[in-house]
Amino acid sequence: MSASSKPTISRRSFIKLSGAAAAAAAVGGPSRVLHALVSGNEEGAGVAAREMFSACDMCFNKCGLIARVEDGVIKKLDPNPHSLKSRGMLCARGNAGIKQLYDPDRLKYPLLRKGGRGEGKWHRLTWDQALDHAAEQMQRIGETYTRCGFLFMAGTDMQSTFVHRFAEAYGSYNVISHESNCLLSRNRAFLDTFGVVPTPDVLHSKYIIMPGANRFEALVTPDSMDLMTAMQGGCKLVVLDPRFTKTAALADEWYAIKPGTDMAFFLAIAQVLISENLYDEKFVAEKINGLDEFKAHVAQYTPEWAEKETEIPARDIRRMARELAAAAPAAMIYPGRRSSDYTDSTQIRRSFAIVNALLGNWDREGGLIVPKKIKTGSIYHDAPFYEDNPEDRVDAGRAQMMFDEEGSFKHTRDAVIEGRPYPIKGWLTYKTNPMQTGANRNKTIQMIDHLDFMMSVDIVMSDTAWMADLVLPAPSYLERKDPISAFLASSSCSGVITRDPIVPAMFESRPVFWIVKELSKRLDLTESFDFTIDDFRKAQLEKLPEVVTALKNEGVYNITGPSYGIHEGKPFKTKSKKIELFNSRYVENGVDPMPVYHPPQPVPRDHFRMVVGRNAFITQSASTNNSLLWELQNENSLWIHPKPASNLGINHGDRVEVVSPAGRGRLKARVTEETRPDTVYMDTGFGVISKGLSNIFGKGACIAEILEDHADSVSGNMAMHETFIRVRRV
Amino acid sequence: MFKKIFAVLMIMVFLLVSIGVVLAAEGKGNARKGKYLFRKNCRTCHSENGSAAELSPISKTQADWQKVFDNYKQLECKAEWDKLSDQDRLDMYEQLYGHAYDSPSPAKCK
Repeated sequence: MSASSKPTISRRSFIKLSGAAAAAAAVGGPSRVLHALVSGNEEGAGVAAREMFSACDMCFNKCGLIARVEDGVIKKLDPNPHSLKSRGMLCARGNAGIKQLYDPDRLKYPLLRKGGRGEGKWHRLTWDQALDHAAEQMQRIGETYTRCGFLFMAGTDMQSTFVHRFAEAYGSYNVISHESNCLLSRNRAFLDTFGVVPTPDVLHSKYIIMPGANRFEALVTPDSMDLMTAMQGGCKLVVLDPRFTKTAALADEWYAIKPGTDMAFFLAIAQVLISENLYDEKFVAEKINGLDEFKAHVAQYTPEWAEKETEIPARDIRRMARELAAAAPAAMIYPGRRSSDYTDSTQIRRSFAIVNALLGNWDREGGLIVPKKIKTGSIYHDAPFYEDNPEDRVDAGRAQMMFDEEGSFKHTRDAVIEGRPYPIKGWLTYKTNPMQTGANRNKTIQMIDHLDFMMSVDIVMSDTAWMADLVLPAPSYLERKDPISAFLASSSCSGVITRDPIVPAMFESRPVFWIVKELSKRLDLTESFDFTIDDFRKAQLEKLPEVVTALKNEGVYNITGPSYGIHEGKPFKTKSKKIELFNSRYVENGVDPMPVYHPPQPVPRDHFRMVVGRNAFITQSASTNNSLLWELQNENSLWIHPKPASNLGINHGDRVEVVSPAGRGRLKARVTEETRPDTVYMDTGFGVISKGLSNIFGKGACIAEILEDHADSVSGNMAMHETFIRVRRV
Repeated sequence: MFKKIFAVLMIMVFLLVSIGVVLAAEGKGNARKGKYLFRKNCRTCHSENGSAAELSPISKTQADWQKVFDNYKQLECKAEWDKLSDQDRLDMYEQLYGHAYDSPSPAKCK
């Protein structure tokens, strides 16, 4: 990466200074060097140590934290003991957040591309130049291609709401989130079964079957901590995963299920529950719709049949069904989070949801619950309507039941490349990195090649920013003021959190709220942004003085009280007003009303099925370049079973090439029995193309480069476990 | 001759207009426009600090929204509804019914 004019602090001197600072900190001396980087008149400079509440942003969980500041420099991030969601804890990534702030790879000022896309040649701009240019491009694209000719994509962030608001004021309804690369099919399935996406009350559960999820590594608070606490209290954990994860290692039972056959397992569990009358008849009679249809449908799916599909013994399936029923209603099939795996991932999750329904665990302690969530206020705006806009989203109709307000990254990308049903020529991304998280990176590059203008707002030069025409630097979560955010967690711990700047924003970074507000001035859309963050927060908390007090005194507002047994007697938010084993809306949309099992494609000879995931110090691509976390893992590797490895002449630590129809990558082999012989595994977050990520550039392989872009037919969620690859030693 | 052509043209225009009216009546509304119209026409009163109960698509079930649109002439704000065109009401229906709380795609934004 090069810049045409000199930054205030050069990259080289910053690295030198940071290195010296780290050395000073290591011996316990004062960090005078880091202190020298912050201006002398800033708040907190030169005063004694102070502590401030905030919320972590190293992943989506928003765990409560306390930042310790000395002489204007954040020295330590500690857990906030008042945060019930995070159970008074902060994980390795949370602790390493300090290096997201003090990172020499940070974007420091606006950059305009001056070479080809992805060449890494940049021209430094002032903010006025950058915003004028962006507004000019947005105006031109809107006038030429309609306002829907501009696409917006914002990641999980407390300020993403302002990007959505800006898109609406600008006039585009082509807005996508990260979710269609993650969990939309789970949401689709549970919403279509229960009318709402419930939360698992892991803490009080006595029996949990966890299919695919890796909760002791891919951390979700409080589920990860609650799972350990529940197990200490006698909860049984069964893990189904083709890979021996840390969660599998700690489970009571682990089955290396054949990938893509989870539905067969759960239909067989349902068959046993029904054929042996192990379900709660009163609950079913009162709350379930379509039992008779489901009984007839599921009769074919016996444990003996499922054994052939899943490679899990029929006697174990039958035993587990009985054990679940004995523990019910404090028993569950864990719904999981990321469900972007197969082309029928919604129907797979429907089978999870249906077994939960048969266990009668709805709204029960240790089952699936819907805790109360606080309702905050807002500042409304009347977004204009643009008569020349097309009638619908660009990806409309490409999946059977897509969420209107989420869309699908895969289908939108296809639509942009095809130019159908109408052209999209502009793209704004904020804190999301589809070049790393969206399967088939070469197609994302192809999509970008079809654009006239792409701008990216981020903290560092992600792979997505690397491909943009205009890159705008955002502050980290420790430097900015965010709106109030209500969260739904689990039993007794829903709540509200916010962030204030712990230290002033470094370099020329500006929050995305400020960026869209400035753009709105240039695009004559000021009515939608005629407020400050303080005004917005005031409106959010106008009727909630107790929240204001709690945020001030404890850094979090926890909603306590019973979180189960609170919906008794209320109708479900479904068409039948009951839990839907049979979904009539699915029939209307050409979807099977009950999950029908289709065996996965067999793995071709000399190929492997590739599965992906992460460990406890990876948040997809957002954390792997963090210098503290990078010390724990500096590249990814290919997990391959010793038997096929031996056949291919691959030894542990050898460098291998992985090839799929979508792309290829090189990385080290990890020869291990912790994966099935027909399945290989890679962590996310490596194999970057951005030279602005100095720790991980040139390290490992990228999942998005290798994975083909299949999609769940119902929701449009990306399907990332449908790719077969070849491996060879290089 | 000109009279004949004029008559044929008139018949064609009539037919096209009739077909258009039928299509509009049977066709779907535009939910995007419906969102705009709902905010413009209803939220003045039906908002957090407004003179009537706060409303958003998820305030009602699809069946409830159907009843509202079927019986709007009985509402207190009937006069406001009467100011809207049939197409405006169809657009608003598409938005509110299509994003009701028991719909397949419940609204997230207000």
